[in-house]
Amino acid sequence: MEMIVKLIPVFPLFGFLIIGLTNKKMPKQVVNIIACGSVFLSFVAGTIAFFSLLGMPSNSRFITGFWFDWIIAGSFSSSVSFMFDPLAAVMVLVVSGVSFIIHVYSIGYMAHDGGYWRYFSFLNLFVFSMLLLVLADNVLLLFVGWEGVGLCSYLLIGFWFHKKSASDAGKKAFIVNRIGDFGFLLGIMLLFWTLGSTNIKEISHLAPEMLVAGGGLVTAITLLFLVGAVGKSAQIPLYVWLPDAMEGPTPVSALIHAATMVTAGVYMIARLSALYVLAPTSMAIVAIVGGFTALYAATIGLAQNDIKRVLAYSTISQIGYMFLACGVGAFSAGIFHLTTHAFFKALLFMGAGSVIHALSGEQDMRYMGGLKNRLPFTYKAFLIATLSISGIPLLAGFFSKDEILWKAYSSGHGHPLLWILGLITAILTAFYMFRLLYLTFHGKSNVTAEAEKHLHESPPVMLIPLYILAFLSIFGGYIGLPHALGGGAWFENFLMPVIAESAHVIETGSHHAPSLEYILMLASVVAVLLGIVVAYNFYIKNPEKPKQLAQRFAGCYRLIFNKYYIDEVYDYLIVKPLYILSLIFWKIFDVRVIDGFVNRLAKFFGSMSERFRILQTGFVRNYALVFFIGVIILVGYLCYIFR
Amino acid sequence: MANVIFYILAVIALTSALMVVTRKNAVTSAVYLIVTMCAIAGLFVQLGAVFIAALQIIIYAGAIMVLFLFVIMLLNLRKDEFGFDTRVFQRLFAGLLGIVLLVQLIMVVSRLPVVAGQPVDTEMGRVAPLATKFFTQYLYPFEIISVLLLAAIIGAVVIAKKKMGK
Amino acid sequence: MMPPINWPVIYPELAICITAFIVLIVDLFLPGRHKWVLSLISIFGVLVALQIVFMNFGLKGDTKAFFGMVVSDATGLYFKTIFCIGTLLAIFVSITYQRREFPEVGEFYTLMLLSTFGMMIMASALDLITIFLGLEMMSIPLYVLAGIYRGRYRSREAALKYFLLGAFASGFLLYGIALIYGAFGTTNITRIVELIADGKPYSPFFVGVGSVLVLIGLAFKAGVVPFHMWIPDVYEGAPAPVTAFMSAGPKAAAIVAILRIFVITTPVIDLTWVFWVLAVVTMTWGNILAINQNNIKRMLAYSSIAHVGYLLVAITVGGEEGVSSAAFYLLVYTIMNIGAFAIVVLFAEREEFYENISDYAGFGSRFPFAAITMTIFMASLGGIPGTAGFVGKFMIFSGAINHGFYWLAVIGVLNSLVSIYYYLRVVVAMYMRQPQTRLVDIAISPSLMIAIIITLLLVIQIGIFPDNWLSLAKQAASLAF
Repeated sequence: MEMIVKLIPVFPLFGFLIIGLTNKKMPKQVVNIIACGSVFLSFVAGTIAFFSLLGMPSNSRFITGFWFDWIIAGSFSSSVSFMFDPLAAVMVLVVSGVSFIIHVYSIGYMAHDGGYWRYFSFLNLFVFSMLLLVLADNVLLLFVGWEGVGLCSYLLIGFWFHKKSASDAGKKAFIVNRIGDFGFLLGIMLLFWTLGSTNIKEISHLAPEMLVAGGGLVTAITLLFLVGAVGKSAQIPLYVWLPDAMEGPTPVSALIHAATMVTAGVYMIARLSALYVLAPTSMAIVAIVGGFTALYAATIGLAQNDIKRVLAYSTISQIGYMFLACGVGAFSAGIFHLTTHAFFKALLFMGAGSVIHALSGEQDMRYMGGLKNRLPFTYKAFLIATLSISGIPLLAGFFSKDEILWKAYSSGHGHPLLWILGLITAILTAFYMFRLLYLTFHGKSNVTAEAEKHLHESPPVMLIPLYILAFLSIFGGYIGLPHALGGGAWFENFLMPVIAESAHVIETGSHHAPSLEYILMLASVVAVLLGIVVAYNFYIKNPEKPKQLAQRFAGCYRLIFNKYYIDEVYDYLIVKPLYILSLIFWKIFDVRVIDGFVNRLAKFFGSMSERFRILQTGFVRNYALVFFIGVIILVGYLCYIFR
Repeated sequence: MANVIFYILAVIALTSALMVVTRKNAVTSAVYLIVTMCAIAGLFVQLGAVFIAALQIIIYAGAIMVLFLFVIMLLNLRKDEFGFDTRVFQRLFAGLLGIVLLVQLIMVVSRLPVVAGQPVDTEMGRVAPLATKFFTQYLYPFEIISVLLLAAIIGAVVIAKKKMGK
Repeated sequence: MMPPINWPVIYPELAICITAFIVLIVDLFLPGRHKWVLSLISIFGVLVALQIVFMNFGLKGDTKAFFGMVVSDATGLYFKTIFCIGTLLAIFVSITYQRREFPEVGEFYTLMLLSTFGMMIMASALDLITIFLGLEMMSIPLYVLAGIYRGRYRSREAALKYFLLGAFASGFLLYGIALIYGAFGTTNITRIVELIADGKPYSPFFVGVGSVLVLIGLAFKAGVVPFHMWIPDVYEGAPAPVTAFMSAGPKAAAIVAILRIFVITTPVIDLTWVFWVLAVVTMTWGNILAINQNNIKRMLAYSSIAHVGYLLVAITVGGEEGVSSAAFYLLVYTIMNIGAFAIVVLFAEREEFYENISDYAGFGSRFPFAAITMTIFMASLGGIPGTAGFVGKFMIFSGAINHGFYWLAVIGVLNSLVSIYYYLRVVVAMYMRQPQTRLVDIAISPSLMIAIIITLLLVIQIGIFPDNWLSLAKQAASLAF
């Protein structure tokens, strides 16, 4: 079994190497087989390992896959080895499964793209990095996967690099992610310094013994890790890269949003839950960041016109839910939502991709409408996903979202205000998702004549993946059916041994009257229906109403439409000053102050003859001057300390 | 008596060194440099390092300075090519920094506990003990210097030789 | 009278020096078109020296020679390994370029070897005079090499600037040595340490200023801000293979000499804060200025300044951990930097042709292997996991945190974040920009390919299995203290 675990990430790596090295020499069919096949093999290996895990006693479900020692330097050691436990198992299945479906879908979507080979090799590398991330048994290796995911996202977002916006978006994603990585790396170092280990299992054992619960140290470590998670999972304040990540091909968006990348932050927090439960302050911050991001991104989603952009903000909002869950100590609920979200968000993106594909690349919802009958298959799949994400009872999204809302209210770390945040977000989610649905598929058609000519339903290779995901979006939630609805909370129990659920969560859950859970559930259902009804009112019955409202609350609308001007603020506060600082240093210090200290370099330069310039650019004496100043400062320092 | 001679030599060495950098005419500068070298040779004599003093005069004041003068005359520099930097501010600034460093170094040296009346070991200044040192304790640096000089010669040749081919 | 000389101690130096003379003599008898033979001789000589260095690791008995002027300890040997590797790679990088651009200058290899000879002297010197002579031995050939491309005025200009400033710096170095000699009456490092331990009265101020001046002279060679001003101009002006050579070995030599001087300064004066400030200033300055550079050699020049800043972090940390991480980082830096320069040389088919980062547009699809290799070198220089550069940076910064230099670590990590930006610019240019002009075919030279492949493999190998290298670096540090 160890061998199988070891091999899980290796398949996509080979896929990447083979496709990347042979490049265009290989026929497309072979590329398809290698790219999809390698991910499928990972999925199969993951499934086999998963079942063998089920066969073990619930407290010792653990398989290691040891490759080799990586760094051993004194007390510091780190190895390339994998741990396959329930948490990793869930992640491996979700990542490889959804990625496989997206790979298949990509065959249709990218069929006519010139960079077909490059695309699939990067895609495989992406899956490899993500699998490495979720399987790593120490934080350093996890960081390797973490960086790999960042690199791949950069390469794939900027895939259509001839578009400036695409390569800019790639850069933005990478740089914002590096800010998060900075926190993560410092966190790793601090963790190693305090516990003397980077192995996750050892950390989980050592942390409660060696760290003071609620102490400054563990809070610092967890907050540093949170900085990393916030960057990768696109939460406030580092979410700005995700909406721009839409510049990549749509399946890439699906991959980033659903299966890989953004979920990494949630996974990491759950993985290090043993540390987080020791730091209540950090937990509270995680919950608040998550709750506010959920609400905040949902409000932005209300006013966007680009179909993929709405979905992007919805992802940020949904990830916010997961953070909220982790923050209140319900890590398994967070992972549960991660799983169901992977299904319906992948479906939404691929559905949107199918629409965009059908409309020859049109992404603006104002030029859609009435597509219900033209794209019947896509519509049905999309409808299921919309219902699921909105939280209509008995669909996957309902169970996971409701679990989070319930825990946000009832857990020891929870608070009714957090629940209210979640509830408002639920209303908004239902509203903007149905707005999306109505604008795209209902009403009268606004499709341009040009796009009308080529309008066609997508090929089966793109539709079949949609239906697999639609199936999962409906039934995927039943693995975690809560006790209150007669289920066994199987998902939670499965993850329990590896996740340090805060004792509070379980205890206080029983303090509340059982009826309360039903009341809250009912409240959220009503909230969702409210959102849908309002959306129906606005976009089907009274299509003029949104415009009137937008005019009446023009300021408010503009604020939301422009995403609260956060990009502009960042640009103004961070990017510009850094750039200007660099320019100042270069132009003024290096060029003017130093190079041409007093000698008006430019004039001087132009007027002197070639030979003269070689000997007397005036540089050397200035260089010596700087050197000399350095000497004086250093000797002066010594004079000072020995005065 | 010894002190008086020392101060006379020191003043000569310093003023002529100052002249070297302030004269506009290159040849004048070179001549002042010779004076400095001679004065320094005198200081060596005072320390009992007779051999070094002789070398100082033969090599520096003699051979090297003659070479300098040759080069200056061969180049036949006009005033504007070998002129002075007319940028007053920069000169003032550099001068100021020089004074600061001087003050700092005076601070350093003044802290040194002065051991008065230490007799000068005149024996060391002779050729034989010097040679012994060179070929025992300082053999390694001595040999390195020989390679170093060779490297410098090679470098000079590479830079100076006419381009062939192309 | 004269005790027997412990020859094996200086065998590596002898091997290099003798090879240099052989090259010089053979050069006389070779017609212009056969000068490539010289490179083969040089490579052979360096390989022999490398072999001797490895053998000397197991040297038994007395490791000192020439009255304690020179020592063959693990520190020296480790750094000699770095010099040999650096020189070997630099020769591979140079061969084609030299044949194309200045075929008549056979002395090229002699000078390179003599410079390496100087570095080796510095690495194992136990006397301030020897350190100084080693420094000059290393520098004089470098001045000439920088100006060896006599057809280009920028090359000549670089040589002159380097020479003038180098002489200036040497003046301070010598003055510092004089001060230390004044305090102790000897220039031998071992002897000075003994004198301090015996409680000989001395003025710490005097010794402190003396050693700081010596450190300044060495810092100039390493490129520590504010003694770095020559670096961008000289790196840009010198022929690319020379820049590759110059950016690796001499820095390592200066650092090892600084480590040796440290033995004197540590008991006398605490320079931690001086190095702290120098580290911060150096890495920040280098990184910020690198952002706006368009010329790739100039960008790499500023980046090399930044890397010296990281090394200074390790030196500030000090102790075994600091020194071993510095030693390790120097090895890594030598390899990845020469690798990057090898690609620059590969693309610089004609001088000044492909030297701007924007000229690299479209290389990703035109020269896939070279482009992916360059990407890996850039990733390594930036410290992305999986490459050697990451391991190096990780060791340095975790060392800083272990010893309580939190802010230094934070500033260092922030700096390496900034550096990613300009390293990535090269990658962006290669993969994500359309070429403005039609791309010319590049003749692939086999020797250059050897250099590229060796560096590539080493960068990846060290990145994934750094163990052996780390323990070697650790050994180098354990004997220095």
